[in-house]
Amino acid sequence: MTGAYLLSQIVNGLVLGAMYALIAIGFSMIYGIVRLINFAHGDIFAIGAFAALGSIALAGLPFPIAVLAVLTAGALVGLLVERAAFRPMRGAPQVTGFIASLAVAIIIENLAVMTITAQPRTFAVPAWLGTLVPLGGISVRVVDLAIVGLALVLMAALVAFVRFTRTGMAMRATAENYAVARLMGIDIDRMIALAFAIGSALAAVAGLMWGAKYGQISPLMGTVPGLKAFVAAVIGGVGSISGAVLGGFVLGLAEVLFVGLLPSEFSAFRNAFVFAALILVLLVMPNGLLGKSAETRA
Amino acid sequence: MLWVENLDVRRGGTHALRGASLEVRRGEIVALIGANGAGKTTTLATISGLLRPRSGTVRFAAEPGATPIEITSLKAEAVVAAGLSHCPEGRQIFANLSVAENLAIGAFLRRDRDGIAKDIADVHRLFPILKERASVPGDRLSGGEQMMLAIGRALMSRPKLLLLDEPSLGLAPRLVEQIFDILERIRDEGMTVLLVEQNAAMALDIADRAYVLEAGSIVLEGTGRALAEDPNVQRAYLGAA
Amino acid sequence: MSGGAFLLRLVLPIALGAALVFAATLGLDPYSLTILQFVGINVILAVSLNVTNGFTGLFSLGHPAFMTIGGYVAAILAMPTARKTAMLRDLPPLLAGQEWPFPLALAAGGLVAALAAAVVGIPVLRLRGHYLAVATLGLIFIVQSLAVNLPGITRGALGLSGLPPLTNPWWVYLVLVLTLLVCWRVKHASLGRTMLAIRENELAAACLGVKVARTRVLAFALGAFFAGVAGGLWAHLVTLISPSSFSILLGFQLIVMVVLGGTGSIVGTAIAAVVLTLATEWLRPLEEAAGFFGASQIIVAVGVILVLIFRPSGLFGTAEPRPFAALAARRRRRAVPPDPVP
Repeated sequence: MTGAYLLSQIVNGLVLGAMYALIAIGFSMIYGIVRLINFAHGDIFAIGAFAALGSIALAGLPFPIAVLAVLTAGALVGLLVERAAFRPMRGAPQVTGFIASLAVAIIIENLAVMTITAQPRTFAVPAWLGTLVPLGGISVRVVDLAIVGLALVLMAALVAFVRFTRTGMAMRATAENYAVARLMGIDIDRMIALAFAIGSALAAVAGLMWGAKYGQISPLMGTVPGLKAFVAAVIGGVGSISGAVLGGFVLGLAEVLFVGLLPSEFSAFRNAFVFAALILVLLVMPNGLLGKSAETRA
Repeated sequence: MLWVENLDVRRGGTHALRGASLEVRRGEIVALIGANGAGKTTTLATISGLLRPRSGTVRFAAEPGATPIEITSLKAEAVVAAGLSHCPEGRQIFANLSVAENLAIGAFLRRDRDGIAKDIADVHRLFPILKERASVPGDRLSGGEQMMLAIGRALMSRPKLLLLDEPSLGLAPRLVEQIFDILERIRDEGMTVLLVEQNAAMALDIADRAYVLEAGSIVLEGTGRALAEDPNVQRAYLGAA
Repeated sequence: MSGGAFLLRLVLPIALGAALVFAATLGLDPYSLTILQFVGINVILAVSLNVTNGFTGLFSLGHPAFMTIGGYVAAILAMPTARKTAMLRDLPPLLAGQEWPFPLALAAGGLVAALAAAVVGIPVLRLRGHYLAVATLGLIFIVQSLAVNLPGITRGALGLSGLPPLTNPWWVYLVLVLTLLVCWRVKHASLGRTMLAIRENELAAACLGVKVARTRVLAFALGAFFAGVAGGLWAHLVTLISPSSFSILLGFQLIVMVVLGGTGSIVGTAIAAVVLTLATEWLRPLEEAAGFFGASQIIVAVGVILVLIFRPSGLFGTAEPRPFAALAARRRRRAVPPDPVP
């Protein structure tokens, strides 16, 4: 094994991790504010991929505009799902919301299959994204740099928003205590909707990145990355945005290195490895790397 | 400035309020005393819009001479905007927000930067410790400091009426006295306070008027002094033989 | 229970059911008979899932994992040795020589599934609420992954095809009766009350001396046992088992049956399982005619959301149907912020 091989594996891990992290942020934000594991989150990721395909291939939008279009599309779907399915059952036991999110996932997936068929589509990206650039002794595709760069920018913007703005502060307050947040004059329905919008927008952008990186998308592409991103959120500590980012990168690197460094007969067990890691993390550190005590949240 | 009439509230399986009525006049400290479970906290939560009554009305006039508006069915957010601020039982400081952020969030509905800065300075004058500990997370404060922060936070919306739930809860007597001194000071500066307390002796001591709540109904009302001298109140709430 | 009452309440319904099965085997065409068997298997699955999810309040999605385990075990054990040498050349000699009678193979499938549940359950059942749901979801993926990647035993992604069609209405009926009996007994014996106590208030139950951990593992393993048996029945009904036979989607459909039927209610769950299975079956031709594949799933999913919003205790209510009490409870919950501790 050469240093260059290891380095390119690490780059792959970072790219995968960046996408996991973007999806995981949404899981974490939504869980943090409504204590809901939104199983439909992976499908919003898939919707993002198709929104990207539509805006680039069909509408012919330039790439940066397409990113904005995808962010908007994701946010709108997130708002719709929250309003239609989750808001009416707020306050019900957590498991109720989880079942509802499974139902939402099935609705989205079947609607997608009915309208655009389950057939995978080719996701063509502008040629400049495919060019190779030298980086520390290896060649890296521009798309990989763009994914990691865009992900980092979005994450930094989100962290700044939550940390330093009045609305971000109100979101943190809402996540902690609905009743007292309302006593401060905060409209908690708006804060919850906002968390869904932001989280879904980021997941949608991850869908665009996935298509750009692997060149192929399908309506059911969201299930497995969605679940893995949830694992990432758990590893980082559900409810913590920085934890989701950390968990995403840790999981992306671990998965790629698991496949890349172990003998090839193990690589088929890639998904089993990820979920075994989930169960292990849940057992050993139920609060994840950066999470607060689960007892207060349970 | 606040008229509560015939409030009837069910909470869980229990009938928490059965036709409770009370009035708060401008510039007063009004105490609402009663045993555990009498419905004191429910009364405040209903006034501030966290709970909906089955029947009864709450009316509120923020400014002197203004026509009272009915706030019974307003959401909690709208009640704050109308000029009422509810400082909840158990202080309920946001643990993940710093002391400064806890104060800032109290002014969530306000947009006047200068006014907010001035009010923060005022709160710091009332409670200097909050200035010292401005960057500390809310849950690192002691109980007394949290109580000060809770009151300061409630004042940050610049309310006309402050609803205060059990400020003495879990605090050392010396701290309670300090808090109550500050309540009198706030009142003297023009604030109106509806105070819910289990510590009836302290509450009646500073209250202009007071109500006794028993099993969801008001059973007695009068000036703080009159109630403090009432033999029934003394027996039931002041520990007299 | 006196002898007469026993006869009336137990033997009579079972005999009646047997008569119906007999009539069905005579009167129904093979297609309808197959549907009927699927209905029976779904009732077995939903009612047994209710032991875990309804009685104990453990939210498990893991039934498909246990069905896969039970299905493979039963398929391998019941498979004629000649077929094994043809299809599974790399099978360990110990297994290659076995050719068990169907009921024993089914029971073995159930036991292995229960054993797996116990082993997994001891650590995993410490998790609460939807953490457990996600961990059991992960279990489905792990079992699938193992089934794909152990070609010596499972023939990998191809699965085991051409299994002998051993499942018939009588076996389904027998397992169904056993499942209902055991679940009914469990619910109304002290074990069931222990489980309900854990569901309602775990801490209080522990204070009263309930062995919380043991009871949870027991409930989990019991549910897994019937799932394993049902997996065996299913495999020998469609004469095929593959890693993708039992997916998350199936797990979701089972959850839907439990939720619609009323968590904790055996009769309600059974009715929901029957209705949903038949409804899906009837909608399928319509779907094909209209060219809208997936429409029936959407309809079911929308229905679930509506039930969760408007009738959170299930369409058929729990043991005692109190729809009005349930509605009142919802309105309260919406008015008051979520309470931190139940």
